[in-house]
Amino acid sequence: MYKLKSRLLLGLAMTLVSGCAQKSASVRVAVAVPLTGDIGTEGQGVRRAVELAIEEANQSGRFPYLVEVRAFDDRADPKEAVSVANLIVSDPNIVAVIGHYNSGCSIPASQVYARAGIPMISPASTNPKLTAQQLEEGWLGPRSIFRVVPTDDVQGTYAADFVTDKLKFKNFAVLHDKTPYGQGLAEQFRERFAKRGGQILAFEGIASGDRDFKALLTRLKSLNPQGVFFGGLYPECALLIRQAKEIGLPATFFSGDGSKTNELLKIAGPAAEGAYLSITGIPVEHLPSAKTFLEKYNQKYPGATVKPFDHFGYEATNIALDIISRVGPDRTKFIDELKKIRYQGILGTTEFDAKGDTKNKIITMTKVKNGEFAIVN
Amino acid sequence: MFIEQLFNGLVLGSIYSLIALGYTLVYGILMMINFAHSEVLMVGAFVGLAAYTLLAPPAGGWVALVLVLLVAMTASGLLGIVIEKLAYRPLRQAARLAPLISAIGVSIILSNAVFLWVSNQLLSFPKVVPEQSISLGFMKIGSLQILIFFTSLILMAVLHFMVQKTKMGKAMRACADDLTTSGLMGIDVNKVIAFTFLIGGALAGAAGVLNGMYYGSIKYNLGFLPGVKAFTAAVLGGIGNIAGAVLGGFLLGILEVMAAGYLPNGSQWKDVFAFVVLIGVLLIRPSGILGERIAEKI
Repeated sequence: MYKLKSRLLLGLAMTLVSGCAQKSASVRVAVAVPLTGDIGTEGQGVRRAVELAIEEANQSGRFPYLVEVRAFDDRADPKEAVSVANLIVSDPNIVAVIGHYNSGCSIPASQVYARAGIPMISPASTNPKLTAQQLEEGWLGPRSIFRVVPTDDVQGTYAADFVTDKLKFKNFAVLHDKTPYGQGLAEQFRERFAKRGGQILAFEGIASGDRDFKALLTRLKSLNPQGVFFGGLYPECALLIRQAKEIGLPATFFSGDGSKTNELLKIAGPAAEGAYLSITGIPVEHLPSAKTFLEKYNQKYPGATVKPFDHFGYEATNIALDIISRVGPDRTKFIDELKKIRYQGILGTTEFDAKGDTKNKIITMTKVKNGEFAIVN
Repeated sequence: MFIEQLFNGLVLGSIYSLIALGYTLVYGILMMINFAHSEVLMVGAFVGLAAYTLLAPPAGGWVALVLVLLVAMTASGLLGIVIEKLAYRPLRQAARLAPLISAIGVSIILSNAVFLWVSNQLLSFPKVVPEQSISLGFMKIGSLQILIFFTSLILMAVLHFMVQKTKMGKAMRACADDLTTSGLMGIDVNKVIAFTFLIGGALAGAAGVLNGMYYGSIKYNLGFLPGVKAFTAAVLGGIGNIAGAVLGGFLLGILEVMAAGYLPNGSQWKDVFAFVVLIGVLLIRPSGILGERIAEKI
C-alpha cells in the first residue's frame, strides 16, 4: 500500500513538475527557487547554473546513472515554498535540494525537508535563523540544512563597519520590508551601527509590494539623515532610490545582496548613481576561479545574464554532486558527508561550521558608478 | 513639509481619480461594478510601453508622450468596448450577480494572458519626458509629478466637457437617470453603453501609462492595488457620481500620504488607515460623500 501511494505521488509530482517522459529510474537533485514573479529572473539564473553543473556531471561520466534536475517554482511565496517542499519530499529519488532563494521561503520549507531527512543547501538565503533553528530544541529532524552564502549578521555588520570606518557617517535612517531577510539584515545593521557610536534616526518597515514611498521619504528628509539603509529586495529598493531623488532627499542609499541586480539600475535609472550595495562573496566576474564557469555558462545560455547568486547555485550543486559520486544517492550518508566536507571549488574552500553555515565569509561592497556596480573595497 | 506631503497626496490622488472615474461611469449607467477595469489599466500600461519602444523617438519628449498616451488610451478604450460586448452585454438582463462574476472572470483572464504571453517579470518603464527637479524655494518637486498631476486634470476637464456639453454626454446622463426610459425615448442604449466603456477604458489606459512613468516599472499584476484603491475612492465619493469619484480619489491619496508621512511607522499602516476612514464615512453616509440617496422604486 505504502509503495503504491508513493508511486502515485511520484507520478503526480512528475506530471505536475515536468510533464516530460522519463528514461530510467535515476538520481535527482531538486532546485527550488522563484521562477516567476519579481524575483523570478534571479531564480531562473540559479536554475540555469544548477542545470549547467548537472549537465557537466553527466557528460563527465562520473556517474553510473543519469543525474536529473527537477526545478520547482516557489514564487518567492512562503506558502508556495512549503507546498513545493512537500512535493519534493514525496519524490524518493530526490537526494538533495538546492534552494530556496528567499529566507522567508527557506525557513518554513527547511522544516519540511528536515522532517523528511532530505539535505538542503541554500545558494542565496542569508537570514541567520535558517541554520540556527536546527540547534533549537524541538527540531524535528537531522541537522540537514546548509548554505554556501555568508549570513546577514556578517553582511549587516560589514556594512555598518564600512560606513563608520570608511565614510565616517554619523547617522542613518534604516528601512526594511518586514521579511525575514530584509528585517534581519536591517536589524543587524542597526545593532552594529549603534554599537559603533552611530545614531539611528528612524527604523521603519514598509509593505513589500508597495510602490509609493514618497510620503515616508519626505518625512525622512526632515530628519536629514546622511545615509539610508534598506533591508529588502530590488523592486522596493529601486523605487525608494528613485523617489528619494525625485523629492530631493540627499542621503546616500545602502542595501544588501537582495537589491544588487541590473534591474535595480534599470528601474532607478540615474538616481542609483552613488548608491552602495553589499554582496555576499565576491562578484562572479571578479573570481579568477570562476572563469571557466562563466565561459561555460555563456556558451550554454547565450544572451542570458549571470545573476548574483548563480555561482553559489553552481557551487552548491557541485558540492552535492561530489558527495553523491562518493557515497551514492543516500540522503543520510549525504548529510554526514556534508558536515565534514572540505570542498575546493569556484568560491574557494567551502567548509561548514556546526550550524551548517559556510566558513567562507567574504563580503564585497559595491558602488554604482556610471550605471554599473564598481567594487570599492 | 506639510505642503510637500499635500502635493505627494494630490499626485497620487490624481491617478486614483482617473481610475475611479471608469468605475463610476459604468456604475452610473449599468449599476454594475466593472472589476475588469484594473486589468484594462494594466493592459494600457503594457501597450504604452510597446508604443514607446516601437514608435516613439528614443530620446522621448512631448511628442512621444502624446503618442504613447494616445495609443494606450485607444487600445484600452477598445478593450473596454470588447469586454462589454463579449462579457457584459449578453448578461444585461440576467441577475445582478452574473455580470459581476463575469467581470471577475475577465479580470483573471486578462492578467493571466499578460502573465503567460507577454511577461511575468518586472519591466522597466521609461520616463518618456526627461525629468527635472523644480525648486520653489521652500520645496523641491519633480517635473514628473507636475506632469502627472496636470495630465490627469486635463483628462478630467475633457471628460467633464464631454459629459456636460456634447450630445453623447447628454445621452449618457439620460441613461444614468433611467436606462429603460432612455431606450424608449429613442436613445441608442447599446451605443451609449459602449461609449461609456470606451471613455472609462481610455482613462484607465492613460492612468496605466502615468502609473508606469511614475513608478518606473510595470508588471502583469500592477492593476490590482490601484484598482482596489480607485474602487474605494469611487465608493468614498459616492459611486455613480463623477465629481464624487474625483473627490474620493484625491481624498484617498491625501489620506494615505498623510498617514504614511505623520504616523510613526505609518508607511506600513497607510492602507489600514485609508480603509478605516472609508468605513467611517460609509457609516455616516452610506452612499458616499457626494452620493445621492436612491429613492425607493415601488
